[in-house]
Amino acid sequence: MAHALAESHEEAANDRVMFGFWVYLMTDLLMFAVLFAVYAVLQGNTLGGPTGRDLFSLPLVLAETLILLTSSFTCGIGMIAARAGNKNQVLTWFGITFTLGLMFLGLELYEFAELIHEGHTITTNAFFSSFFTLVGTHGLHIISGLLWMAITLIYVLKRGLNKHMVRKLTLLSLFWHFLDIVWIFIFTIVYLRAFV
Amino acid sequence: MSKTSHHLPDHPKGDHGTMHSYIIGFLLSLLFTAIPYYLVVSKSVTGTALLATILGIAVLQMAIQIFFFLHLGRGPKPLYNVVFFVSTVGIILVVVLGSIFIMDNLQYNMTGAEVNKYLAQKEGISQLGGEKTGACQGTNANHKVTLKSGKVSPLHTEARLCDTITFINEDDMVREITFGQHPKHDAYSGNNDLLVRKGRGKTITLNQPGTYKFHDHLNPDIAGDFTVIP
Amino acid sequence: MKEFLLGKLSLRALPHEWFTIGATVSFLLLALIVIVAITRLKRWKWLWNEWLTSVDPKKIGIMYFLVGGFMLLRGGLDAIMIWLQQALSSGSSQGYLSADHFQQIFTAHGNIMVFFVAMALIFGLINYIVPLQIGARDLASPFLNTLGFWLFVAGVIMVNIFFMVGGEYAATGWLAVAPLSGTEFSPGVGVDYWIWSLQISGIGTTLGALNFIMTILKMRAPGMTLWKMPLFTWGSLCSMIMAVTVFPLLTATLFLMFLDRNFGAHFFTTTLGGNAMMYTNLIWMWGHPEVYILMLPSFGAFSEIVQTFSRKAIASYKSNVLGMIGVSAFALSVWLHHFFTMGAGANVNAFFGLMTMIIAIPTSVLVFTWIATMYKGRIRFATPMLWFMGFIGTFAIGGIAGVLLAVPPVDFQLHNSLFLVAHFHTMVIGGVLFGIFAGLSYWFPKIAGFRLNERIGKYAFWCWLSGFIMAFTPLYVLGIMGATRRLDHYDASTGYQPFFIMSLIGGIVIMIGVALQIVQIIASFIQKRHLLDITGDPWGGRSLEWATPSIPPPYNFTVIPTVSSRDAYLDLKSLGLLKHDYEDIHMPRSTASGIYISAFAFLAGFGFVWHINWLAVLSIIAIIVCVIMRTFNENTEYTITAAEVEKLETDRIKKLLPAPAGNNEDMGLREFVGIVIVWGLNVIRTKPWRTH
Repeated sequence: MAHALAESHEEAANDRVMFGFWVYLMTDLLMFAVLFAVYAVLQGNTLGGPTGRDLFSLPLVLAETLILLTSSFTCGIGMIAARAGNKNQVLTWFGITFTLGLMFLGLELYEFAELIHEGHTITTNAFFSSFFTLVGTHGLHIISGLLWMAITLIYVLKRGLNKHMVRKLTLLSLFWHFLDIVWIFIFTIVYLRAFV
Repeated sequence: MSKTSHHLPDHPKGDHGTMHSYIIGFLLSLLFTAIPYYLVVSKSVTGTALLATILGIAVLQMAIQIFFFLHLGRGPKPLYNVVFFVSTVGIILVVVLGSIFIMDNLQYNMTGAEVNKYLAQKEGISQLGGEKTGACQGTNANHKVTLKSGKVSPLHTEARLCDTITFINEDDMVREITFGQHPKHDAYSGNNDLLVRKGRGKTITLNQPGTYKFHDHLNPDIAGDFTVIP
Repeated sequence: MKEFLLGKLSLRALPHEWFTIGATVSFLLLALIVIVAITRLKRWKWLWNEWLTSVDPKKIGIMYFLVGGFMLLRGGLDAIMIWLQQALSSGSSQGYLSADHFQQIFTAHGNIMVFFVAMALIFGLINYIVPLQIGARDLASPFLNTLGFWLFVAGVIMVNIFFMVGGEYAATGWLAVAPLSGTEFSPGVGVDYWIWSLQISGIGTTLGALNFIMTILKMRAPGMTLWKMPLFTWGSLCSMIMAVTVFPLLTATLFLMFLDRNFGAHFFTTTLGGNAMMYTNLIWMWGHPEVYILMLPSFGAFSEIVQTFSRKAIASYKSNVLGMIGVSAFALSVWLHHFFTMGAGANVNAFFGLMTMIIAIPTSVLVFTWIATMYKGRIRFATPMLWFMGFIGTFAIGGIAGVLLAVPPVDFQLHNSLFLVAHFHTMVIGGVLFGIFAGLSYWFPKIAGFRLNERIGKYAFWCWLSGFIMAFTPLYVLGIMGATRRLDHYDASTGYQPFFIMSLIGGIVIMIGVALQIVQIIASFIQKRHLLDITGDPWGGRSLEWATPSIPPPYNFTVIPTVSSRDAYLDLKSLGLLKHDYEDIHMPRSTASGIYISAFAFLAGFGFVWHINWLAVLSIIAIIVCVIMRTFNENTEYTITAAEVEKLETDRIKKLLPAPAGNNEDMGLREFVGIVIVWGLNVIRTKPWRTH
């Protein structure tokens, strides 16, 4: 009887944490909304300088998109493994997710480095301010996610796959999927739109 | 209750993904990434139609990932997650579309370019960023138009661009000089109406060429015109 | 090297003007007194363990009240300074404040009152009362609760520390509109302090709101469906959903302004493509819902009070709830009414004007449900009910002024005039503040274990009400006469001065009211035995919080009750269903991580303000480390066994003091003054500081 009570107490606590994290993700989406709104309003203010059309490389962005999408997929598979209690599979699939995430980050940093090298920085004009902020904030979230992933995987390696770890991985996967969803809109509104 | 021997947290039933849902979600997302990419690169659709299409497909891909990766809607009731998600989407639309619409509408009465032009005229700034603004650099002749006892003298004034014109009121009542044919209340070079008290005058710079009517909006019979020659 | 270590900090940042020196000395003296007192009484450990690291929402609630109350005094001091300046500086007199100083004062006044008084007191009330009302032991996340509180405190320190380091605050108005708030026109650290005090406490607010939502939606007692929740909980839920929606907008906007100032970005600058109007647009998208966030818990508190003191259930529960939901739903459709004059076309202005007027409808529904509740009720005019009566009149007038302002052509005349200032002060003082005072006096017995002195409470209320009317009616008139807001000097020919002087007198009466409130609290402590609340239900309440003893034990309820109707407690009372069973109770441990994370957040903000980059970066890393340590800590709860609960309960009942004999009246002012004089003479005679 006590065991069942304790379990339902745990279940209720889990449910609360999932819900709370979901609401947090909604607030994060709203912050991105402001950045999107600012980008939409200011992206035309290039003062005659180069626009996205002149500077973005669609093939590079397509690569980034496919990499991130795949990492979202492998993250999902990792979660199936986690719920099945399979520690090695978890490490494998989340390891792949981590690697893909790093690759995405690398490509993005490369893109930024190129732009800065050509003299376009956040201080150049309103278009670049909003571009670097919107895409850069997404990148910062990716970095946070990777850091979170690395630490969680280390803990899984050391402490094994207990229920706390599975819960953490679930929250992490929510976060990771959500980052891919935000990227869909960056891909569309920032990059594709520049060429419309 | 869970029948497994592992002490794993009991997820609300139905909340899990199966391999099935992830694979379908992945393949559909790949498809809906490739389609807009191809459409943009091949330029087979253009303009607003293209924009609407890629935005629509983005929303579609988001829905796919929300359903197949995040399993929204498959948890236990009450479905607070769904409610929060839908309302967040609504608010995002208000924030983004609202901002775009409002910021554009702020130029409804006067665009940014017009504001700059008006300011340049007023302050006599003749060039901005290497380009001429067309503002008058200093003024030339001054023309006086006197309003007295219901008469405008002179009735017609001819002036050159960048001259000034002064409306002088020598009657007892206040006069509201505005431009255009009564009852219109047009503006000339940003001046909408000039309130001239008894014994006073108001001067404006003639920096727009053409012929313009003016009248006293309070007594529309009192009217005249002036021509500005470049 | 010095620049790397200290950023923009230098000796010049230390106080060197009369007001910065004065404020620094006052703060340091105050801190000294507090530190000496705690050391003498040997209470450091107790303070740390029982209060500062506590995750009990009741303790956190009280801490919110204390900090919020202290900031009310600070904000009120700013108000007096504004009143004085405006009453004095007519014609040839320039008043006693420089223009720049005056601007900093009204900016600080606005920020403090909105963020650090109103939000604080509301969060305190929700923290304390909502778990009791829904039959929960704690909030959903005790850690987020303490973290939210300490982030708020970090913001409070940030908004006060500029006196000691930097010497200037933002001089831009409480919302720091661009481009005045950009580096070009505000190059000092004032605006940076503004950004970080709001950013840090704003994140605390978002986390707190999240917590409240999780609690209300997921932790209600069995049987309490949404439609059976008490109305204060409904008001809190609506308010917090709005908060969680719009505070992220503020966070993002402040972040963009931070990028503009610290990294040279061009979002809101005057050159290189920036659009300052976008800032106004974004900040009011947050700003307008914010005022409803403040109002809805007050509405909820009033609903409770009207029911209890009319001895009648609310006239129409559904209408009341739908009214609150209606206000929340429309809150995000009106923000443009703050900038009708910024150039939008007539149609857009008309749309937002209409939506603003429409919001008056659900608000009126609420007012009508309250009045209908009073109709044919058996009304007692205790102090909470008096605050409600004061609210109804002033709020209605302020609301009508608001509907007037909602008409764009009228707004073109009255935008940023004193009419507007009078309108929003009527709403915030008459609405939010009176609601908070009503709620505090209503729930004070539950929180402190004894009720407040009624006599002095009534005097305080009448001072507040009459002072408020005297202070703000002239402002309505002045606004229509053409006076703009934020005037630090005006021509004698305008004829404004008599009105400003009357406003100042009203302000003084309000200050007397505040003083009386402080006297009331002290007098209540003195007469504690006489004012004790033994039953836990001093007013004859209807909702679950009155089922607990006053003061509730840390676990709130020994057994979570099952609820079957709206007036949960009333029914439990009448059906005799109040049980005294015992079971194991899981409680969260206290934690200092909230304090540590907030301390690092403060340091990071301070680093950003002064461009001390290494400090900012290291502090952020420290925050991440603390968060990781906390989230990977699996040992965050402890259990009180049923036997221990039983012992705690029997001990508590044994310690209950007996009801006071005799018929003492609540003491009046004369008696209070007499007691103070006697005490003062006694202190001088016995010199207790010498005998230690």
